[in-house]
Amino acid sequence: MKTKDVKIAILRIEGTNCEQESHDAFKRLGANPEFVHLKQLLNIDCNQDEKRDIFDYQCLMIPGGFSAGDYIRAGAIFAARIKSKLQKKLVEFVKQEYPILGICNGFQVLTELGLLPGIDNIVSSSPEACLNINDSNRFECRPTLLKHENNGKCVFSSKIPKNDIRLIPSAHAEGKLLFPLNKQKKCLDALEENDQIVFRYVDPDGNYAGYPWNPNGSISNIAGICNSQGNVFGMMPHPERTFYRHQHPDWTSTGLNDDSGDGRAIFESVLEYICKKI
Amino acid sequence: MNLDSLFKKKKVSFDFYEIDLLSASDKNLKEISDRMGLAISGEEMKRIKEYFQTKNRNPTDIELEALGQAWSEHCCYKSSKIPLKQHIYGIKEDKIIAREDAGVIEFDDDHYYCAALESHNHPSAIEPYGGAATGVGGIVRDIVCMGAQPIAYIDPLFFGPLDITFDKLPKGVKHPVYLFKGVVDGIRDYGNRIGIPTLSGQVYFHEGYTGNCLVNVGCIGIMKKEEMIHSRAKAPGNVYVYVGGKTGRDGIHGVTFASAELTDESEESSRSAVQVGDPITKEPVIHTTLECNRKGLLEGLKDFGGGGLSCVCGELAYAAGFGAEIHLDDIPLKEEGLHPWEIWVSESQERMMFLVKPENVDKVLHICKQWDVTAVPVGKVIKEKITRVFYKGEKILEMDLDFLTGGPVYDSCTRPFAPIDTEKHKKTEKSFTMPNLNDSLKKLLASHNICSKEWVIRQYDHEVRGNTVIKPLQGKINAESHGDATVLKPLENSFRGLAVTADINPRFMERDPYWGACSAVDEVCRNLVAVGSKPDSLLDCLNFGNPEKPERMGEFYEACRGLGNMARELQLPFVSGNVSFYNESVKTAVPPTPELFGVGIAPDIRKCITSDLKKEGNPIYLVGKQTEEEMGGSEYYKIMGIEGGDVPKTDTGILSKCMKGILSAIGKEYIASCHDVSEGGIGVCLSEMIIGGDIGTIVDLSNVSKKLRSDFKLFSESNTRWVLEGEKQSKKDFEEALKKEDVPFIKIGKTKGRKLIINEGENALINLDINTLRNIWKNAIWNIMG
Repeated sequence: MKTKDVKIAILRIEGTNCEQESHDAFKRLGANPEFVHLKQLLNIDCNQDEKRDIFDYQCLMIPGGFSAGDYIRAGAIFAARIKSKLQKKLVEFVKQEYPILGICNGFQVLTELGLLPGIDNIVSSSPEACLNINDSNRFECRPTLLKHENNGKCVFSSKIPKNDIRLIPSAHAEGKLLFPLNKQKKCLDALEENDQIVFRYVDPDGNYAGYPWNPNGSISNIAGICNSQGNVFGMMPHPERTFYRHQHPDWTSTGLNDDSGDGRAIFESVLEYICKKI
Repeated sequence: MNLDSLFKKKKVSFDFYEIDLLSASDKNLKEISDRMGLAISGEEMKRIKEYFQTKNRNPTDIELEALGQAWSEHCCYKSSKIPLKQHIYGIKEDKIIAREDAGVIEFDDDHYYCAALESHNHPSAIEPYGGAATGVGGIVRDIVCMGAQPIAYIDPLFFGPLDITFDKLPKGVKHPVYLFKGVVDGIRDYGNRIGIPTLSGQVYFHEGYTGNCLVNVGCIGIMKKEEMIHSRAKAPGNVYVYVGGKTGRDGIHGVTFASAELTDESEESSRSAVQVGDPITKEPVIHTTLECNRKGLLEGLKDFGGGGLSCVCGELAYAAGFGAEIHLDDIPLKEEGLHPWEIWVSESQERMMFLVKPENVDKVLHICKQWDVTAVPVGKVIKEKITRVFYKGEKILEMDLDFLTGGPVYDSCTRPFAPIDTEKHKKTEKSFTMPNLNDSLKKLLASHNICSKEWVIRQYDHEVRGNTVIKPLQGKINAESHGDATVLKPLENSFRGLAVTADINPRFMERDPYWGACSAVDEVCRNLVAVGSKPDSLLDCLNFGNPEKPERMGEFYEACRGLGNMARELQLPFVSGNVSFYNESVKTAVPPTPELFGVGIAPDIRKCITSDLKKEGNPIYLVGKQTEEEMGGSEYYKIMGIEGGDVPKTDTGILSKCMKGILSAIGKEYIASCHDVSEGGIGVCLSEMIIGGDIGTIVDLSNVSKKLRSDFKLFSESNTRWVLEGEKQSKKDFEEALKKEDVPFIKIGKTKGRKLIINEGENALINLDINTLRNIWKNAIWNIMG
């Protein structure tokens, strides 16, 4: 498949608000992203020409924001609406190895849906992890440095060399990954063993360094994980916000070079995967 | 006559009164206004009575309520029209494309930017969280209703001192820590949820704001030229489509509440005037509005602001010389049992009014439905210049729009004003011995008006939409310092940037409103230039005390004169603005606070620069006007407890030269970093550059204003000055470029090591290491707000 033919559904409901820059990230690489309201997939209040099917697309992305206000656990309402009618198709989509990306609120939605961490099954009937309130107990908008620790399973980071440190900024109030206390160790071991850990928060020297380098207190400094198949990926930081170097917070001292930003490789990786797969 | 007997209940199925103005005495008239909470003066009530005499009937309750809304100080600027006309309007007007809810100016060949700035002071003083949140909600509607995509917020905030003790708080006044936290929470929760970056603004603390905090909110948007839409009907028959949130009892009399002083009973009496914000209703309203507009389905568009339906329906029609017919039965309500007049004047949030051709109504309703946004046709534009309102089959309001919306014109009757005595501050100046300067600098860095505002900035999502290319915090990661302005790259296919900043120095203003206002324009220009953008337009939010007091009007006149003179000389238009009077509570009025919001254009954002020092061995310059003993209102005098002194003056001649010279040097990439000199003078300016860059400096101030005392050299806040870090390799070219433009500059030192070292010849003035400076500067607000 050619990049220009790759269709990506940028899924949204009320309160989704990083859709434009997420859309632009795919568009800049020559792919064919489209904004899709969840109601278009559920066939509610649509004219004939507005109806969509998830299999019209080769990739599904749930962007950042505050879906439905996030007034209960972040992402829970969006997830519940998807689950009510779309669950079967979504599982089929994952089974057929189509990629799904969740950034920030999208990561929270994928976790609430039970598609992540996805250790034993494609989907769990109830969430097996959660993204809890930051240790600082407040919304944090700050640059974060992520170390790429995946050994090749994740289809969204294949173009990033292992141990590379990337500047990908965070902006969230609920980003602390947690597992049920009695299964914490087991889950972490399984994630390591299955090569599901993709990014960890580090300082400029690559050390795990606590707050503010880890902005939320996430367990084991985890910033992003994929499922055991490697095609469902969620991360709290926003790669679409450092697509270009001029979006980096310190470019006036580090220089623009070719203006390629640290987050770009996420989008390039998945497009390469899709083009090879199909 | 007994007041009760003047309120006559009509025999209809709902609560509806006729008010017997025709039999009311003059005293009764004022009593009626007070009882209904209209904030209409006795004189104005007489004019209303005369109007209804000519109609040969009495007004209904809803008619008087509508007049109360339309005529209040807030809606039609009755005290401010004359000084604004004299000073603020008429500058470079040809640049302004439109001036409605927001001002519109050209951005490039195909795009306009639009900007608006408003106050949300009284609601925030009573209920900080809701007040601030709805302020954000209101300003974004002003941008959307011009057809523009909102791209950034600016929120300047003013509070009493954070360390004030409870026993010093006047009765009924909330503690500044509570207000500060509530306001920031409100802006954060609303702004972040609707996905528009908040680029901060300014946060200022001063005793004068203790009883009446100020919350100003600004917003900026971008649109294609063909997408601009006006707040007026196109033709009779246009259908009014009500879109967005439901109408409730929240926000009743918000406008009239803003047009009176706060008292210790405001909490009790005015709580219902504060609206309730709902960002998750708003967010899709923005989508639907912009989508309908892009598809060409809208004839006119206006947001519900002060005065609710009453103002929005009348103004859309009146602006086009038409009238309106509205049916209140169809208005979606939050609860049952609202009186028709409450529906008519409620200021519930998240509502927009579309004007749509009859044949397009279904298309608009479909788009709204897809986003689950409530949308209902509620009336139509009519040819006669009359507003008519119907409810349950009864006609309950019928008034000429010229009378209702036109409002009283006060051109012939100005409020009295008293001249300003700027001498009274100077008299108290006394000589004092120079303190330990290291200690003074430390105190200044810990001053809440100077120290890091990271606590605020990081709670706002300032990067959503991915367009923020120069951030509010600048420098090495997790060691950042304040920048002068924030820069956005609003268009996908262009490197043209928009820079924004907001400034005012209330301590200058209270001493000398004229020079204080001039200084604000100077500072806005300095900040915009410091990142590499050319000042393009200004917005003003004029926050003052009670205009019925001559000394407050005097301050207002002087401030307008200062703003106007500076802007005229620099040819910068005021594109939009807002006047907020009555910022006065039991104890005191706020210092005159004409908050300024400046917009600059950066021709290519890749040339922009930041305030953090870049590398060792680069030369450091002081550029601009001479440093003078202008210590009045300075932070240094504040920490020294000195009241007197002259406030800094301005000189647009030097300012223009400097702007030209610095911008051309930035364009040629001669400058590595740049920071304007403001609160705390050169000492604080250098400290902030060092903190962000994590690189030290060695500086010698011998050649700076040779006769000046060392502490004044360090901490004077004289205008039109910048500290620049030149690129070492282009030192010669840079100096020549400045000389060519006749820009005054002094090379004062170079970047080096891990310390801030400032000498004066043999004398060591300052010797402090970076971490000491950073910790003091960074922790001051955290220590209180946690």
